[in-house]
Amino acid sequence: MAILAYAIIAVLLILVVALLARQTPREEPAEALAEKEFVQGLWDGRCLNLSERIFDSADYHWLRDELGFPQLADSLVRSRQRVAIRWLKALRTSFDELVRTPEPLLADSRSNAAPGSWNLLWLTLRFHFLLGYALLVVRLFGPYHRLIPSWSWLRFIPEFNSRGSHLGPVDIANFR
Amino acid sequence: MEAYSVALWIIGLALEATLILRAKQRGFLWRFPLFYSYMAYVFAGSALTFLISWVRPHHYATCFWFYFLALLLAEFAVIMEISDHIFEPFPAIRRLGRFITIVVSATLLLLYVLPSLLQPRSSSVALLDFALRASLTKGLIIAALLAAAFYYRLSLSKNVAGLMLGFALYLSVYVASLAAAGTFGKALYANVLRFMNPLAYALCLVVWTITMWQFEPVLLTSPKPGEPAEETSEALSYRLERFNTALTKLLRK
Repeated sequence: MAILAYAIIAVLLILVVALLARQTPREEPAEALAEKEFVQGLWDGRCLNLSERIFDSADYHWLRDELGFPQLADSLVRSRQRVAIRWLKALRTSFDELVRTPEPLLADSRSNAAPGSWNLLWLTLRFHFLLGYALLVVRLFGPYHRLIPSWSWLRFIPEFNSRGSHLGPVDIANFR
Repeated sequence: MEAYSVALWIIGLALEATLILRAKQRGFLWRFPLFYSYMAYVFAGSALTFLISWVRPHHYATCFWFYFLALLLAEFAVIMEISDHIFEPFPAIRRLGRFITIVVSATLLLLYVLPSLLQPRSSSVALLDFALRASLTKGLIIAALLAAAFYYRLSLSKNVAGLMLGFALYLSVYVASLAAAGTFGKALYANVLRFMNPLAYALCLVVWTITMWQFEPVLLTSPKPGEPAEETSEALSYRLERFNTALTKLLRK
């Protein structure tokens, strides 16, 4: 049985490498182009305002509690979930494009030991991890679920509670 | 079979010498220093073991295993060098190749290679099994590197693509033949499989000779209008930070 598994892996390895190694640069898919337009204005705050709106549950509560349309509110959640996923994917597309930016120096003078290259990789991997987690939570629980689990149960631990009280609320509106 | 084996040996030596001399003549040895050091080692090791097999046949097995185990480890360094060439022009992921190589190697070493080495069994079986698992680890590193390049839509130079294809070709045959040797025993290995590995390596050398005939760096396309232009590491770091900050604030909301 093991020999069969190894034989399959060997064949797959050759096929995968042969397919991927002869690739020519792929054209940007139409979906990615549409996603790019979706996050235009990321650096002037417009995109962040959009994200605040997408992930803000005020509209949902207003529809459900104040106007009394629970079905319409549920429909809004589903719609916002799709938009939230699209926004996160668009953010990833935009990020990947930035990552693909080549260095301006000539290839000959490019140093592999340039300071901070591990730091840049850390930022790249961290972003992918956070984005993957956010996508998972939005897909499973919707856009209004807390992305970071609640630590309210920690109030029973006095030391942790007092340390946490130093942290103020996050002001996403002033992100520029 | 003996003549076939000797012919493969001579072809291998000729291809290795061609690879090194061609790179020296064209002045691109320094572009792939680890690969050409590895080639020099393979050339010297093959020639020496070839001589020993004629002059001192009873010492051949011991010499071969020393040579072969050092070769297995040197290939990890060569793969790391190849990975550097894939991601080198892109500062944000320049170290991604090394990261993938280290993570895949360390994970498979702990979970796949070491448990096998710790099992009590004869040294020949343990060596064959180690060679099998090390070859599979390298194959998976190559597949992971190519998957990362595919994800970021990076072009591979002809040299890098050829090196990876050559490695994949011979590693695949090694994995299949060593697994067959472990399953069907020494008899099958002695009669059939021991000729497969040199043949696969000779094919790999043919691929390398063709693709390394001249140095061909990857041509980077200039950014289209609206795409970010080339920027310094500092500016790039700042923009990556901002992406992370935007996402972190969203998560903390």
